[in-house]
Amino acid sequence: MTALLATEGLTMRFGGVTAVDGVTLTVGEGELRCLIGPNGAGKSTFFKCLTGQLRPSAGRIFWRGRDITGADGYVIAGLGVGIKTQVPSLFDGLTARESVALAVRRHHGERVARTRVATALERLGIGELAERRVGMLAHGQRQLVELAMVIAPEPDLIILDEPTAGMSAEETRRTAEVIRELNRSHAIVVVEHDMQFIRSIAKMVTVFHQGRVLIEAAAEQVFADSRVREVYLGKAVPRC
Amino acid sequence: MDYAVVVALQILSGIATLVIVSLGLAVVFGMMRVINLAHGEFLMLGGYCAILAHGAGVGVWISVLALPPVIVGLFGLVIERLLIRRLYGRMIDTMLATWGLSLALIGGVNMAFGNTVSGFSAPLGSFTIGRFHNSVYDMFLVLAAVVLSFSVWAVLRFTPAGLIARGTMQNSEMAAALGVAPDRVYAATFAAGAALSGLAGGLIAPLSGVVPTMGTLYIAKAFITVITGGAAMVTGTLTAAGLLGTVSTVGTFLTTPVLGEVGLLVVAIVLLRLLPRGITGRFLRQSL
Amino acid sequence: MRRTGLQIAAATVVSVTAAWMLPQILELFALINATVFVSMALLALSLGLVWGFCGILCFGQTAFFGLGGYSYAIAAINFGDTTGAVPIALLVPTLIAGALGYFMFYGRISDVYMGVITLTVTLILYKFANSTAGDQWIIGKAALGGFNGIPGTPPLNLPLRPDQALDPRQVFILAIVCLWGCYVIAKLILRTRFGRVAVAIRENEVRAELLGYDVRRHKLGVFVLGGVMAGLAGMLFANCVFVSPTMFSLSYAGQVIIWVLVGGVGTLIGPIIGCILVQMLVTWAGTLPDVDPNLLLGVVFMLAVLAVPQGLLPATTEILTRLLRRKAG
Repeated sequence: MTALLATEGLTMRFGGVTAVDGVTLTVGEGELRCLIGPNGAGKSTFFKCLTGQLRPSAGRIFWRGRDITGADGYVIAGLGVGIKTQVPSLFDGLTARESVALAVRRHHGERVARTRVATALERLGIGELAERRVGMLAHGQRQLVELAMVIAPEPDLIILDEPTAGMSAEETRRTAEVIRELNRSHAIVVVEHDMQFIRSIAKMVTVFHQGRVLIEAAAEQVFADSRVREVYLGKAVPRC
Repeated sequence: MDYAVVVALQILSGIATLVIVSLGLAVVFGMMRVINLAHGEFLMLGGYCAILAHGAGVGVWISVLALPPVIVGLFGLVIERLLIRRLYGRMIDTMLATWGLSLALIGGVNMAFGNTVSGFSAPLGSFTIGRFHNSVYDMFLVLAAVVLSFSVWAVLRFTPAGLIARGTMQNSEMAAALGVAPDRVYAATFAAGAALSGLAGGLIAPLSGVVPTMGTLYIAKAFITVITGGAAMVTGTLTAAGLLGTVSTVGTFLTTPVLGEVGLLVVAIVLLRLLPRGITGRFLRQSL
Repeated sequence: MRRTGLQIAAATVVSVTAAWMLPQILELFALINATVFVSMALLALSLGLVWGFCGILCFGQTAFFGLGGYSYAIAAINFGDTTGAVPIALLVPTLIAGALGYFMFYGRISDVYMGVITLTVTLILYKFANSTAGDQWIIGKAALGGFNGIPGTPPLNLPLRPDQALDPRQVFILAIVCLWGCYVIAKLILRTRFGRVAVAIRENEVRAELLGYDVRRHKLGVFVLGGVMAGLAGMLFANCVFVSPTMFSLSYAGQVIIWVLVGGVGTLIGPIIGCILVQMLVTWAGTLPDVDPNLLLGVVFMLAVLAVPQGLLPATTEILTRLLRRKAG
């Protein structure tokens, strides 16, 4: 399995606070990786480093072996990484179709865009929302539009930050299905909180704790680990 | 040697003028994120208060220091109630409305008092250093700038009113939950900013006289100083005015007044390029 | 695509009508005034494009307006022929817009801070132009003239025929053609991927970046395009009036913003209509004997903001749509 995305000792410091502390992690082609951990564990900060929104204080990031540390956000996205942020980041004044089309057009022409857009919207079950202005949609629907924007260009790697935040049970189930299906042809990294959602899709899990990787193993192993339970319940865990 | 002292005093005076004309705008922008393009006209109204009062026989110091802030502050209250209050959160609309207000005030004052310059000479006379004459009033302005800056800072830092104002600006819902009426705080803050602008007008009236369009001379400089200063009201204005005032005065001495002004503008651009959030967006971030 | 086609067709009809009819019904003085209005409408369009379709609130669009005017005048006086002056009038604003845009956008400067910088630039030009009264301020044969400006701008002549100057009627038609042309170009560009990305940037810059688009490059492109249009407007203005530092002034800078706001940010036609309406209002206000025009203007703007905040065009369209819906349903 070739390494698609790899970090080496990635560190992010804000003044006196070290949010991410020497994280070394590798995501292979076609892998599905979940990043979990309690609030403040550094998952979201790590996500922002991966997507170029933050410049890491130390350490390196590699894409297919190429050093991309400190690259601008748009460069990383242009390499073929689909990014979905925690808070829906959308074009409120555009329609769903226009938004998804823009996502595809970065990499493809007008005609390819049209088919990809229709496919993506159908896949997520929001075909009827195509001509609606995104600003008018409900929160859960906006999440799905954003997901459509991410998957439509068929990127090599998709990084999702809390994709089911604020979704209904039905929408969450639909998202899990989509992710499993997407994983057949794309590598996916999911940063999540919702344990049930994670359980339904997880294969390999990396657990964050206080900016470091606590444990990285197959899903069943992680969920059975007592340290993970303690970390989530707030008990002090000795640093490993 | 004498020349150096004179230049130094002129620099201080230049900085002081910038501070005085910018503080009102800094308070309103810093606290409420309202861009009041009529700030220059509040200044102008303050100036006219001073001139008219003095012309009617009121003592110089009352005309300059007491009447303008009170009258313009009250005017600010009215404007906040009628105009600004309806446009909170809409920065562009506030800019347009206050630009309209600015035009209306210029027109109104022009109709009422005509557009010739009137004024009175600066009180306090002059003092000499070597063979140079300096205006004592200029030094008084330096003192005024210091006192004003300190007062604004002290009110915000130490008084209950200041604390309430700061709290409301950061989180008005929370403040309301604690029993504070955000509307009143906004009104009071805007009025305070207006009063400061009016006072500034009164203070600079003896320098160059008053004319309906005098506000336009200062609005750009005040705006630039406040934005370059950054989020912190007092420290931002002081540091920005310090830097820009020095450049402007030194430039004037070395070349011409026009190039001195141009120098100020160029330095502001460079500063904003290096510090996109203003000076206090990077340094002294926790200050007021 | 169909909607754009209809809009361009409508604009063409209006332009042709205006170009044909107005020279026949208006006296010379009124026609020259109308040409001034058209040049200002083009200036409004330039800001409407940059602001409404890319989110760049430029307080100093007048900088390019003045640069266009001044470069045209200086070049025309020096060449004795306006054929070479026209490209220069367009080139100078392009270069300055490019430099300023690069400085701002690649420095990640945005919103209010960008407003201040652009305002400062136009102020610098204003102060500088104002101070060029002395005899030493001459570029070639053209004296810059300080606050009086450069009197007697050479009128446009037919290409390579310096002895055949255009008459006011022809200049008016040319102005209409320029306005129409820039409108069409803007409309077409907005339909390209570049244009759509620019609009997306206005909506959500972060998202546009996350999709892999270089936001800085797009903003720079739109900004330069706006600068060129403003420069063209300045050149036309110089032909009807003369070139002076007022073109850079704070007053003009503010007026452009007001035209766009009144007409509606986010449309291309809105700023044009807003400009013409406000200009007519200003001219009418100037004729009132007792009321100061500034007072009237100021009151109108305050009322306009309070009553019609999104601008006249969007408000009118909304009212019309609601009326039509009521009739249909």
